[in-house]
Amino acid sequence: MLFPTVDFALFFCLVFLGHWLLNPRPLPWKLFMIGASYVFYAWWDWHFVWLLAGVSALAQLGGLAVARQTDPRRRRWATGIAVVALLLPLAYFKYYGFFVLNVTNALGELGIHAGLPLIQVILPIGVSFYTFMAIAYVVDIERGDTTPASWIDVFLYLSFFPHLVAGPIVRPNELIPQLDVRRDPRHIDVAKAGWLIFGGLFKKVVISSFLATAIVDPVFGDPARHSAIEAIVAVWAYAIVIYADFSGYTDIAIGAALLLGFRFPQNFERPYSAVSIQEFWRRWHMTLSRWLRDYLYIPLGGNRRGTTRTYVNLMLTMLLGGLWHGAAWTFVIWGAYHGVLLSVHHYREGRRAERGADEPARPGLVWGQRFVTFQLVCLGWVFFRSDSLATALELLGRLLWGWGTPTELVTPLVLATIALMLVTQLWPRAFAEHLQERVAALGPVSLGAVGAVSLFVITTLGPQGVAPFIYFQF
Amino acid sequence: MPAGRVLLAMLICLGLWTLLVSPSLKRSAEASPEGTRRSVSLAVLGPVSAISEALRVSVVTDAVVRALGREDPEVPGIGIVEPPEPIPTVPGDAAEGPNQGDPKPTGPIRVPTSRKKLRVVVVGDSLASGLGTYLERVMKPSLVRVSRQGQISTGLSRPDYFNWPATMRLIVDRFKPDLVVVMLGENDSQSLRSPQGPITMPIGTFDWADAYEERVRDFAHIATSGGSRVVWVGLPVIRDQARWEILKRLNGIYDDVAADEADVAFLDTWGRFSTPSGGYTAYLHDGNKVIEIRSPDGLHFTPTGYELLARAAMELAMQEFQLADKTIAD
Repeated sequence: MLFPTVDFALFFCLVFLGHWLLNPRPLPWKLFMIGASYVFYAWWDWHFVWLLAGVSALAQLGGLAVARQTDPRRRRWATGIAVVALLLPLAYFKYYGFFVLNVTNALGELGIHAGLPLIQVILPIGVSFYTFMAIAYVVDIERGDTTPASWIDVFLYLSFFPHLVAGPIVRPNELIPQLDVRRDPRHIDVAKAGWLIFGGLFKKVVISSFLATAIVDPVFGDPARHSAIEAIVAVWAYAIVIYADFSGYTDIAIGAALLLGFRFPQNFERPYSAVSIQEFWRRWHMTLSRWLRDYLYIPLGGNRRGTTRTYVNLMLTMLLGGLWHGAAWTFVIWGAYHGVLLSVHHYREGRRAERGADEPARPGLVWGQRFVTFQLVCLGWVFFRSDSLATALELLGRLLWGWGTPTELVTPLVLATIALMLVTQLWPRAFAEHLQERVAALGPVSLGAVGAVSLFVITTLGPQGVAPFIYFQF
Repeated sequence: MPAGRVLLAMLICLGLWTLLVSPSLKRSAEASPEGTRRSVSLAVLGPVSAISEALRVSVVTDAVVRALGREDPEVPGIGIVEPPEPIPTVPGDAAEGPNQGDPKPTGPIRVPTSRKKLRVVVVGDSLASGLGTYLERVMKPSLVRVSRQGQISTGLSRPDYFNWPATMRLIVDRFKPDLVVVMLGENDSQSLRSPQGPITMPIGTFDWADAYEERVRDFAHIATSGGSRVVWVGLPVIRDQARWEILKRLNGIYDDVAADEADVAFLDTWGRFSTPSGGYTAYLHDGNKVIEIRSPDGLHFTPTGYELLARAAMELAMQEFQLADKTIAD
């Protein structure tokens, strides 16, 4: 079920009613929420409901097995086996086709007929997200950061519909304790939830859709026909498209959870205001960044095993982070590119520390760093968005040889939309908080009317039909 | 705010919004596929729309829509879905168009120059949408202008949803294409409706195929009326075997119409993109390499697949209409 649809609006009203009516009775409430979440998931394809249930069962069996071990070595072994078992379905559904195709062709180059079965596997929606949450559950038990929850709590933790298909990737100790707390039905932060939901809808339905169809899709669809200026603006526009699309989705998810009395971690913190690539990753898809840090980079040794190993760990983490986004060489290159950028940043920071240079940044320098960081991130987006390596190189080629051809797609509206979205990255928080305070003072009738008018404007400005969120494919 | 009041606000929000947009919601419901969902939507939206009309809500909403620059296109004959991109109007070289003085040309398709580019339009459903993108990539931009007019979820069965004959007439008048590439039919295994909405021929009846063939023939006549040639791209095999019979039947209709019309050529994609026994395959051998040609949905193509499809369509145009091979990129 897509968030910006009438189906979801009706579904959410029913769930909201059932949720608050059953709130005083924990067991019926949990069963109801699991049922609602599975209906939400089955709306795409009911076949994969069994996969979600299977991963949940595997996580719980793994968690219990780990908790039962008292010997640290056996505990680590049990964790390793559970993590591998959880990764197997993800590996099959997401990477089997990519792996077999590449192996077959590599061996074919050597004249060897591999004979591997070529099966095109359909990727179940959200599998990358709930698999990562399941791994976090098992590893956190091993580390003693959490204790095994009940079966029903694990099933609800992994399937809870606001985060189910595209995050945020919520840690066990962030969500499972909330399942047993009786939520207060008298104090719902409707102003903040409404701000997140309507803001998210605006970003997805209006901003992302407009820029995608106005310039991004035509230019990335056929770079050869477009000028250097169009290519540059299309890459900037894609930076806004993916931000508006993904942060729009997570804002709606966080807002919907808030209406049900749950608090989710933040996933975006104005990423294009970052002054370094490291800061960008602290502000972009924050729940994935911290997952990669806590469950991949640190277990690999982090920066505790010397300089060379730190760089290797950074590269490995970002390569796998890239591959997590999709089984394609473009994502591998995108991940490797960010690994290199982070390594360079790490090296420069190390040199600065050695020199003892700690002077305060001048305002002009900060703006320069912001500009450079944004352009470096944009360069990475070229590989992320392109359907093949050839397209990415063709687009980059336009930047060198595409000068002098017409630039019809670069309209004032496209430029203004990009500029507006970049300005929001520096928007003072007080502005949003002030608006939320004004909305919080409204009664239900006025609030409903304001919501209806906002929705009307969003649906009028948006296209007919809504494209799936970009991150659904990951 | 307490939960009860939040629920009240949500219901007011949804109810009021439905009232504001009920005419367009009702039109969308009318154009949606037959079934329970359509019936329930119409049962709910009928009374809401009546209330909206009685309260003259549309006077206000139309003004807002105009203020936001989102007026419905006043294009006669177009259904409720807008064309995907504005239909381009030919510039000064229109005098060299294919329809000048000879509505039924014979002989080779004209040889373009950089000043008088060949005009190619791709029409049809989501498959045509993908094909258009990659056809544009396989043709030389210096010699060919490609207009991509593929529109998802459309076909010839439901002119109440998207009126392809009317759109094709506009394309012929405005763009004056030299070559029309058609790929549609995936969405056509349903009852035929008139542009006003009522069913004119239920699916499953004996005369459905004849009525559909008449629509295909009329569409081909419109497409060739300005002197254009047509490459009609047949439907490819899909993963869902239950639909093979109807798709083969549709391909038979397109093939028959192409055989009767001098300026229409049919491209058999079923045989080209299937296993030796005619079954579905997502992969093809290309020399020593294996390439993935179909997307995981079992229906659409991958970029590689669309490029092969586009090249196959242009090979047929070269063969049947002597399209100059210099128009194809390496």
